[in-house]
Amino acid sequence: MTNRKLLSEAKLWLVAIPVLLWTLIPIYHIFLFSISTKDSAFSGRLWPDHPTLHNFVTVFKQEHFYLHHFWNQIWNSLWIAVAAGAITLAIATCAAFSISRLKAKGGRTVMNAALFTYFIPAAFLAVPMYKAMGTYGLLNNRWSLVLAMVTLAAPYAIWVLKQASDKLPWELDEAARIDGATPLQLFRLVYLPLMVPSLVAIFTYALLLTWNEYLYAFLLLSHENTIPLAVGLGHFLASDDSPWEILMATALIYGLPPAAIYYAFRRYMVGGLTAGAVKS
Amino acid sequence: MATVVFDSIFKSFGSTKVLHGISLDIANGEFMVLVGPSGCGKSTLLRMLAGLEDIGGGTIAIDGRVVNDLDSKDRDIAMVFQSYALYPHMTVGENMGFSLRLRNDERKRIEDRVAHAARILNLEPYLKRYPRELSGGQRQRVAMGRAIVRDPKVFLFDEPLSNLDAKLRVAMRAEIKALHQRLKTTTVYVTHDQVEAMTMADRIAVMNDGRIEQLGRPLELYDRPANLFVAQFIGSPAMNVFDGTYRNGAVEALGARWPCSAKAHEGQPVKYGIRPVHFDFGSGVEAEVVVVEPMGAETELVVKIGGQSLTVATHGRSPAAPGDRISLAPNAKHAHLFDAASGARL
Repeated sequence: MTNRKLLSEAKLWLVAIPVLLWTLIPIYHIFLFSISTKDSAFSGRLWPDHPTLHNFVTVFKQEHFYLHHFWNQIWNSLWIAVAAGAITLAIATCAAFSISRLKAKGGRTVMNAALFTYFIPAAFLAVPMYKAMGTYGLLNNRWSLVLAMVTLAAPYAIWVLKQASDKLPWELDEAARIDGATPLQLFRLVYLPLMVPSLVAIFTYALLLTWNEYLYAFLLLSHENTIPLAVGLGHFLASDDSPWEILMATALIYGLPPAAIYYAFRRYMVGGLTAGAVKS
Repeated sequence: MATVVFDSIFKSFGSTKVLHGISLDIANGEFMVLVGPSGCGKSTLLRMLAGLEDIGGGTIAIDGRVVNDLDSKDRDIAMVFQSYALYPHMTVGENMGFSLRLRNDERKRIEDRVAHAARILNLEPYLKRYPRELSGGQRQRVAMGRAIVRDPKVFLFDEPLSNLDAKLRVAMRAEIKALHQRLKTTTVYVTHDQVEAMTMADRIAVMNDGRIEQLGRPLELYDRPANLFVAQFIGSPAMNVFDGTYRNGAVEALGARWPCSAKAHEGQPVKYGIRPVHFDFGSGVEAEVVVVEPMGAETELVVKIGGQSLTVATHGRSPAAPGDRISLAPNAKHAHLFDAASGARL
């Protein structure tokens, strides 16, 4: 390796190491709390004297006042996130296909409107959304959060999928039309298979956005049986003497599904599926 | 098998007119090449025939049926694209059978047809591969296979060889021609390469600026170009053309007298055209050799006459060297005269 390469490598490490520490230390902190006993949680040591998995047992067995609905709440989180992800994906895919590939009239307006929605911060919309859901009689129903998250995620999803659609070679559509494909067949047999990486990415985006949502979940859902775990975790802070070690154990469990999803779908996050379609 | 008839086809994109009333009859089984520089409207014409572009005015008929308002899929045509346009998520076999699958043909029949086409195109070992695993020439053959499988009335080719390297292009040219001789399907082939046009076509339509400049068999265009554009477009190396004045049965130009068999008015300004191969060495016009380009079978000389560069091609080797003075005798029988103003053949 030449000196120059070594130098640029060193510079990279100089940036990478602080970033890595910055990211990992809080996670390590959570982990440390979750394997500590209540007494030693705040001891300030880098490793507890008596590491224990007892906190996790407590969580799984729902043996704490704040955790009586743990399994129910994590199921709510999952249900709501998957539903919001799926609906967002369906809406955005159809919109992107008709705007980008079928050149539907008014497509530009829809795109501009989608962009415009981001001029208003989501937090400002929380109260109107609460009012709207109340009008529909959906408060305290998991669907209210699903629908709210779909409205928040869909504009971005439409933009991303529209951009990805535009990159598909136009000749493929023409070839399919000459081969006798109807628009629906084009969508099903050519468009969807080629869009899989983008679709997975957008589904993951909407799913994680919903999984991590707190504000809307807190507002729209209040019954212990309907709230997702994110709101359930918030309840821990209601008392002066919060059980931090159990909160952190729960938080660690709560953080695992997103990590697993990222890991499982990482190969879809990279493109390259259209290689070989047309000469580039 | 079918005839194709274009009747006064017009087309504009916004305020830009790209086709100005094109009429063209293509016979049953004919290999018609549309050739012209980029932007001449040849691809647009083809895409209108394919149903990928709206027809601005006039009618297009396939096999006697006007297809203006028919969808692409109902026109019974197959098209080969410059970029191949293969479905990347399907194997070669699936690509070729896709149109039949859309028609809900039986699986057995699809397999038979795909196998048949694969045999014709030597694609049998690749049927299970994906397009990304194939070379450019193989991909192009798959694109042709996709067209053959359908057994359409008309084949459309949109610059199918432009993306291939020179050697492969020559090979594929022969393959496409052999394919046509075997299947005898009416074919419309668009290219900007006059060599492709000359070697493959039954008839060529030379297009320029949204009009057909000349329609005819390849050697007709070569021997009797209707105007200056066709004269300079067809033939390689290109025809030498320069200004002159017609006097006493010859053309006075570049300080010399150039013999010709065509007639013009006495004193009429003309353009004199002569192909590089139509010079003899001997007594005639004095020229200075500037560049010698030996190519083995023939040699091209770039010479200067009266300040103008001309190309001369000779069979075999040439002893000439840069700086030599040679004497050229233009072959009067093969000289072309064009009206200086209109460019039309005299």
